[in-house]
Amino acid sequence: MSSLGKLVGRGLAVAGIGAAGVVGYGVYSPVYANDEVLHPPAYAWEHIGPFQKFDARAIRRGYEVYKNVCSSCHSMKFLHYRNLVGVAFTEDEAKILAADTEVEDGPNDEGEMFTRPGRLSDKFPDPYANEEAARYANNGALPPDLSCVVKAREAKEDYIFALLTGYRDPPDGVVVREGLHYNPYFTGGGIAMARALYDGGVDYDDGTPATTSQMAKDVSVFLTWASNPEHDVKKQWGSHMLMTLAVFTPFIIWFKRFRFSPYKYKRLVFRDQW
Amino acid sequence: MAEEEEPVDMKEVYEEGCKPKCGKELRAYEACQKRIEDDTTGEAHCTGQYLDFWKCIDKCAAPKIFANTR
Repeated sequence: MSSLGKLVGRGLAVAGIGAAGVVGYGVYSPVYANDEVLHPPAYAWEHIGPFQKFDARAIRRGYEVYKNVCSSCHSMKFLHYRNLVGVAFTEDEAKILAADTEVEDGPNDEGEMFTRPGRLSDKFPDPYANEEAARYANNGALPPDLSCVVKAREAKEDYIFALLTGYRDPPDGVVVREGLHYNPYFTGGGIAMARALYDGGVDYDDGTPATTSQMAKDVSVFLTWASNPEHDVKKQWGSHMLMTLAVFTPFIIWFKRFRFSPYKYKRLVFRDQW
Repeated sequence: MAEEEEPVDMKEVYEEGCKPKCGKELRAYEACQKRIEDDTTGEAHCTGQYLDFWKCIDKCAAPKIFANTR
């Protein structure tokens, strides 16, 4: 009888904790200031999943899209040409890409600054000299640096893809301010960036048909890689860890029991009369 | 490879195909359009219904889009 009472009591306690959790969640669940935004759906990325890696060809195409479309306004100041080597380009290819840019270097022996072709160790070139120049050229809006943009957005690569393909007519009654464009995935709806990707906007090296969603997907993968360059290695090490542990866990358990067996079976006898 | 075909973006095709599935949301949006037709305050808008409609479209179309890309 008393054990039954205990059981009931315990059940009530668990239920109480659960109820407190529900109430607590209700109180502390976040309330966003602006809910007038369309949350992007989860797209079927190839690199999502515990054993998935980036599609190197998509990164390569994504770099082409960034280079030809995005880079005229968006900087990627934390990326160097050497970062592309072994990821999406060979060393020679990356050297050619770098050599296409002009880098100010110096001073030389006469104390003058000079420009030279870029090298692998150079950063991706900035489209603007400083923030003020960027704002002046873009109607007061600052194009964000894209080095870590995927990490900086709530829905990650889903957001980038949805935003790039999500330019639509505004709903009835919504007036978009001059110089802005309507995009439901952007908080508030009015975004300074105009639609950048149109079918056939880029000529891919590998002949992939350059549809809007193809380009948006590729550039999203490229930006995801730029934000998480450690992604592939991390998952590789993770799976190595899990496999190694799976092999050694039985041995570790056996060894613990082996080592502890004297203590487990030891019996202390106290003689009160010596 | 030599043929010059205009690439077709399947995303819009899928979204168009999803519209019958989102009839409820579309009707709500159209009802809102009618409701605010002769609004003079300039405050009325249909953003809520619009976002509901596109959320429905996205949910329906999102799993298919990447099947047609590389």
